Order: sequence, then structure tokens, then C-alpha cells
Amino acid sequence: MNNYETILIINPNLSSKVADFQTKFEKLLTDNSFEIKKVEDIGRRQLAYSINNHHKGHYLLYRMQGDPKNISEIETKIKYDEAIIRHLILAVKDLSGEDSVLLTEALESKNKKSESTEESEKVIKKDKKLEKSTEEVSDKEDSKDSPTEVEEE
Amino acid sequence: MKKFQLPNNFDYKNTDILKQFITETGKIVPARVTGISASNQRKITKSIKIARFLALLPYTDMHQ
Repeated sequence: MNNYETILIINPNLSSKVADFQTKFEKLLTDNSFEIKKVEDIGRRQLAYSINNHHKGHYLLYRMQGDPKNISEIETKIKYDEAIIRHLILAVKDLSGEDSVLLTEALESKNKKSESTEESEKVIKKDKKLEKSTEEVSDKEDSKDSPTEVEEE
Repeated sequence: MKKFQLPNNFDYKNTDILKQFITETGKIVPARVTGISASNQRKITKSIKIARFLALLPYTDMHQ
């Protein structure tokens, strides 16, 4: 029994059907007597360079335990699957149960996005307040200015 | 603060740490510049190469 970490980059156009793909792939793993320890659906991510004219990819991460003999079967299956634009199976010493950096980053950016929309709304409100205050100030200035003008005349 | 911060565990997924060890053009910074131990430099180099294959880091800045 060895520990493995599998990363799959899935065609971003099939991103909506990832759940189906995952069940299919997990079945393939369990059929080949692999024990899945952790699955991470990292989601769509900008690729550092284009692969087959795709600029984005849907990342999936599997941490699993299994027999090295069965790895080649999975690799051949992955090779002929057109939904997968890139894959890598790594042998690792230990399987950590913690979330990977990629997943935490993806979650953070999602949170930031939702926050930023809220923040932008707040900013708009603040701007309105500022406008009001500036208007008041300008009114005061006008009132100040008017008597001096009169004096000049 | 040191210019090159080493991670606690070497992970190809931690791109923020790995980005310190590549130049603007995407090349790996040599050990003579980073000043880290040979063993750590090998680990960093390996993780950068894995990250490049998975399109987490660029090979070069000339990608189309």
C-alpha cells in the first residue's frame, strides 16, 4: 500500500458537469482497490499558460491509498479521457488530512469576492454621504461669499 | 526579514512561497543567489518544476 496524490485539470467547459465526472472517477479508483482519503474540488483557476487553447482549468485533488500495480490502469483510463487536459499522480510519504493551500486560496478569493461586492455597496453609500456633506459645505461657502461680494460692490 | 523565506514543508501547491524563487521571466533563481542549502534548493527546484507542469507557475513570460 502506497500513498498517492492525484491532480487532475479538467476542461473548463465541462466545469458544470464535474460532479458526474467525480462519481465516475471515484468509481474507477474504488474498482482498482484504491481507498480515497480526501477529495478536494478546488474549482476553476487561471492557468499560468494555455493548455490546448484553454486559459482556465478546473482543478481536482485526490489523496488516496492503494496498490502501485493498479496505477498504470488508471493512467491509461485518464489518457483516453478527453475531459482531462492534464493529470499528475505523485507518490507521497504521508497523507495529510488538512486542506491544501490551493483550496484555501480558492475559498479565500471566493469570500473576498462576496465581501468586495458588499464593500463596493458600502463605498457607494459613503460617496453619497460625502456628496451630501460637500453640498452642505458649498452652501455655507456661498453664504459666506455673498456678503463679501456685497461689500465689494 | 530574509529575502527568501523557506516553507515549513515543501509543497508544489504553495505558489506564493515558490514565486520568491523564480525570476520575473520565470527562471529558477540559482542557489548562489538564494543562499539556501543545497538540499533545500533541490527540494524547491523539484516543487517548482511540478508546479510548472500543472500550470500553477509559468515556464517563461513568453507564453502566448
